Amino acid sequence: MWGFYFEQLIDSLPIFLKGLWITASVSGLSLIAGSIIGFFWGIIRGGKGRILRRLIGAWVDLIRGTPFLVQIFVIFFIFPEAGINLEAFPAAVIALTNLAACFICEIVAGGIQAVPSGQKEAATASGLSAYQRLRYVILPQSMRTILPPLVGQYVLTIKDSSIVSVIGVIDVTRAGWLTVQRIPEGVLVFGLVGILYFVICYPLIQLSSNLEKRMTVVATRL
Amino acid sequence: MITFSNVNKWFGDLHVLRDINLSVGAGEVMVVCGPSGSGKSTLIRCINRLEQIEEGDLIVDGMNVHDRKVNMTQLRAEIGFIFQQFNLYPHMTALENVILAPTKVRKMKKDEADKLGRETLKRVGLGDKVDSYPAQLSGGQQQRVAIARGLCMRPKIMLFDEPTSALDPEMINEVLEVMVNLAKEGMTMIVVTHEMGFAREVAERILFMDEGQIVEIAPPEEFFTKPKSERTKLFLSKILTH
Repeated sequence: MWGFYFEQLIDSLPIFLKGLWITASVSGLSLIAGSIIGFFWGIIRGGKGRILRRLIGAWVDLIRGTPFLVQIFVIFFIFPEAGINLEAFPAAVIALTNLAACFICEIVAGGIQAVPSGQKEAATASGLSAYQRLRYVILPQSMRTILPPLVGQYVLTIKDSSIVSVIGVIDVTRAGWLTVQRIPEGVLVFGLVGILYFVICYPLIQLSSNLEKRMTVVATRL
Repeated sequence: MITFSNVNKWFGDLHVLRDINLSVGAGEVMVVCGPSGSGKSTLIRCINRLEQIEEGDLIVDGMNVHDRKVNMTQLRAEIGFIFQQFNLYPHMTALENVILAPTKVRKMKKDEADKLGRETLKRVGLGDKVDSYPAQLSGGQQQRVAIARGLCMRPKIMLFDEPTSALDPEMINEVLEVMVNLAKEGMTMIVVTHEMGFAREVAERILFMDEGQIVEIAPPEEFFTKPKSERTKLFLSKILTH
């Protein structure tokens, strides 16, 4: 029985590979853009400017406090009413980038605030500019706190990317939906979907726990 | 070199500096003492604007620190500041710690800064510790690296905020020795400390503060033998008996 479906599954391989490529591109693009934006927001949020800090904080709370499914619906179905028409793929990347940026922002802000104030004072007192303080003193020290949860967040974002399948982006999850309509073996098909996500995420999970261990060792040495 | 005129500062409702009038000349060594919470740390932290003053004028090296237009980066480069907790950068070696500001603020070339850094670390007795990380150094050694870090900017003024208070007793002298040498070389120094032996040896004047006010300023001999105010006498009796 499974042998028969297995052959059909082999026939579906191209659509799975294409889905894998789409999942990788949506996640990859969102992670790169989300990291850049998230670091930028996080640095502002870990700093002194009161108004910007609150503004970003409110946005981050809003995004963290609403389901990603709702966010992507808003971008894909409500934005066109305001005249902003997006294809499914860019809509997915924008939604996921924003989500990743918000979580990364909090991780980065936390890391920056964890650097003792004496470090900032010493850097200030020696005449370094705000940018130099960040670049040479604060960020290098906060990376120790930031890196492990950051990589963990990458894993979460890759998994969250499966939700973009609802607006018709043919990612791995969507490929599963399409295949299961021809092969009524849900366990087999979604088993494969699960394995594909796992193959991408597992190395990152390992990296995260390795970083965690290494950073703890460094922290106790310092 | 440093002039306070009617300087006032508040932390919320707390009046931490009250009508401070004070002048410190070039090459002078002044020791500041007083009970905790008297405002002595705040006093020196205002000089490089780690704290803002609310009222009055504070002129340092000809520049008005209170004026928002003043280029603080430039002024801070002329003032070395030594913290009670050293505040060395833990991710950098001793050498990297001392040459960061010279290369980034003074735009000194790497090899030139390197040479200066090594010489300065040698001057504080740590020529063999250039590649050590702060965590590998004792408290006294860390504080000497911090002093070298200040000196590498070739500052006009050095400020010390209780530099020996966080040290084990047997490490205090190695730090004080470096400071005594510095004083003898003619550095302008304001030192917040309760090391009265140091004050006696190198201070031109001792300033006693209480509740945000300057209670008394006098040369060491006079300060220790015939203090004018009762508050000073009480303070001295407490710290000199042990």
